[in-house]
Amino acid sequence: MTALWGAFAGVVIAVGASAAVFWVTHRLFGLVERRWAVVTATSGVLAGGAAGAVASGLRSGADSTPLLAGSQLVWIVGGAAVFGLAGAAVGLLRPPSAKRTSAMQSRLRALTFVGPAMLFVALGLIIPLLRTIYLSLFDKAGTGFRGLANYGDIFTNAQSLDLSGWAGIFGSQLFWGSVILFAFALAIALARGRRRGVAADFSASTVGIGIGGGLLLSFAVFANLRGTVMNNLWWVVAVTFLSTALGLLAAVIADRTKRESFAKSLIFLPMAISFVGAGIIWRFMYIARPPQKSQTGLLNAIWVWFGTLRPSTGGAWIAVAVLATATAMLTALCAFGVRRRQSALAIGSATAAIPLLWLIYRFIGPGVGGSILGPNGEPIAGTILFVQESPFNNVWLMVVLIWIQTGFAMVILSAAIKAVPSDLIEAARVDGADERQVFFGVTLPTIVPTITVVMTAMIVLVMKVFDIVRVMTNGNFGTQVIANEMWQRSFTEFNLGLGSALAVVLFLGVVPVMGLNIRRMQRGE
Amino acid sequence: MSSAVDAAEAEQPAGSGSAVRERQGPDRIGRAVYRFLRSIPVWVLWLMVIIWSVPTGSLFLNSFRHRDDQRASGWWTSFTEGNWTLENYTDVLSSGAQTGGLWQALLNSFAIAIPATIIPIAIAALAAYAFAWIPFRGREWIFIGTVSLLALPNQVALLPLLQMFSGGAHWSIPGTEIVVTLIPDFSLAGTATAVWLTHTAFALPFAIFLLHNYISTLPGELFEAARIDGADHFTIFWRIVVPLSVPALAAFAIFQFLWTWNDYLIALTMLGAAGENYPATIKIASMAGEFGLREHLLSAGAFVQAGVPMLVFFFLQRFFVRGLLAGSVKS
Repeated sequence: MTALWGAFAGVVIAVGASAAVFWVTHRLFGLVERRWAVVTATSGVLAGGAAGAVASGLRSGADSTPLLAGSQLVWIVGGAAVFGLAGAAVGLLRPPSAKRTSAMQSRLRALTFVGPAMLFVALGLIIPLLRTIYLSLFDKAGTGFRGLANYGDIFTNAQSLDLSGWAGIFGSQLFWGSVILFAFALAIALARGRRRGVAADFSASTVGIGIGGGLLLSFAVFANLRGTVMNNLWWVVAVTFLSTALGLLAAVIADRTKRESFAKSLIFLPMAISFVGAGIIWRFMYIARPPQKSQTGLLNAIWVWFGTLRPSTGGAWIAVAVLATATAMLTALCAFGVRRRQSALAIGSATAAIPLLWLIYRFIGPGVGGSILGPNGEPIAGTILFVQESPFNNVWLMVVLIWIQTGFAMVILSAAIKAVPSDLIEAARVDGADERQVFFGVTLPTIVPTITVVMTAMIVLVMKVFDIVRVMTNGNFGTQVIANEMWQRSFTEFNLGLGSALAVVLFLGVVPVMGLNIRRMQRGE
Repeated sequence: MSSAVDAAEAEQPAGSGSAVRERQGPDRIGRAVYRFLRSIPVWVLWLMVIIWSVPTGSLFLNSFRHRDDQRASGWWTSFTEGNWTLENYTDVLSSGAQTGGLWQALLNSFAIAIPATIIPIAIAALAAYAFAWIPFRGREWIFIGTVSLLALPNQVALLPLLQMFSGGAHWSIPGTEIVVTLIPDFSLAGTATAVWLTHTAFALPFAIFLLHNYISTLPGELFEAARIDGADHFTIFWRIVVPLSVPALAAFAIFQFLWTWNDYLIALTMLGAAGENYPATIKIASMAGEFGLREHLLSAGAFVQAGVPMLVFFFLQRFFVRGLLAGSVKS
């Protein structure tokens, strides 16, 4: 209960003190014209007190003296008295002109309103930021100057930046997947371009395929170029793109669905859960137990269950039957598309059939899911160590943040979609555009600025990801990120220089976003 | 993307659900396929809803299972075995060596979150009013500078702030032995006060931004009329601006309360080893870190910690959403 009383007292004292200061200064400045002497005398007292404090500090020359110790108090009171009298004398002698007082008054009025906020911003953000930059040039104890050596340590250390695996990029399936997607997007763009008589015509859907290819490529790169810095970039790229894309998907579909608000609330709910709580929630999802025991984590339980579907046990044939039905439907769709000359439908359904055919092959042959064949041909559970297996354990950690942030993207994009002027949409409909064309031609271009806002907000948030990594792995198993590294260096090892340099690296990461925000605000006003 | 009509023309009518094509001839299979395709997105949405709810639901169900059940089998088995208990909740709330002691941590969370919500609102509302309605030199630049700080990562300020809270700020004049005390040592490290002071500083850029967006759209004629009647800025602020800004103030309050309630980094840094002041987030994170005796209490603990924001979320979702939307969507 003491904690609550403390909170209550804190609120009362802080609000009361700022209200009192505000009221007193406000009244005081309101009386500038009539009581000029009061203002000058008060500023004299304040200036004198400060000067006395500095002077006593100069005299004693030691920080061991507690503030307001006897002699210091004398200096402060003395300074305040002398300066206060001088201020009062100045005020009584020469009242300023009415024009000057009113100008001064309005400036001081503004100051009383803005002052408290500026004080907090200066003491809590700007000065600490400058001090962090300053400390980053010093050594562990914060005393010996090192120049940029801390930054050198960060970027030459194999723990934080390891580019030796670059050749592996070209061997990864992700890389070749991205090449295929890029080629696909380019082929469509060239075909469309020829039809319209230009070199290449990039529609929204080709750009979408291209973005998908870029994401695959980034995964190929980040899975092979390792280290803390690369992990952080991986987080930023993957979480930002996937959360925005999934949020957009949910927003678009929900916009045309009954029970929209119910569906949206449930996707949005993780926003209310702390990162720590989310990490714990997903830890339960990711639990992997020894193969002989039954799984308590849902994901591994499903994975192992899939593994038990084998031709020898008969389960696989059910799966194959389901898959074959779906494949047949897709084939029919493809034929329908070819007959109707709807190339997108034909290509789409054909593409969707490929993974199904692959799954059928896996079910009949080597099997799907987490199981290996035991000595007697019986399936033994083979679990996925979601949290421990590097490098893709990073992705499983990112899933937690994507789970949280999708709701954020969805809510904002959903509001943007609803704010698209309905006459624009009506006009497009009158011109014969179908729903897909309305979306890509009207809605999407209109909400692009909002998508940018969502993505910049997310970059800022993801850049400093800390809680999830700390709770789930504490940076072990190749999942370290800059913020956690910074915390460990600063607050467990008390390496002021390196910790500050890591913080500055994070800061530099968001500087472009800050610049963008400033430009946007300038344009907005 | 050029103009909307341009883009609409550019798209060939190749869409799967092309109404234009439908008109060319009634085709039963085509219609069935069309209807099937139309329903796919809705299924995708509900699939997403299920996937997004299952993790929280798993935690919720697990929190009502006995310790041995939790260790031996998944929560889905309890539907058939039906062996539920409230023991985890009573254990995690009460304090003791084998239990959670989460009750005290919840009070600590309130002790941090309540001042960290009220104080920034008071300070930011004053500043937002001045930035919107009191002209002064450099106003635009100070405003933009302040608001641009909302992208600042907390990490860049933590170390100096902790030093300031634990030892004050001192300046040793170069070339001399003299040290001047700029800020005295109030020994705030390890106290809730340090935590909410830090939260206040970090919240201000966003608070000023959000409240300014709202307050600057209030009708100026109202203030003119009040000024003619002899009201000064303070009266206008207190009598007109505050009552009219209640929606924005509430939106920010809820946003900030959830943020500070769920904060882990700032509390962990500022409280250090002062375990008696830990908020619930640190408590459950440390329970998660020990992999030991109390692991069966973890799901109940996480759910208790999440309970308060979830209640806020369910009852005040409209305000929360409004806070999120401020500034990102032009209405």
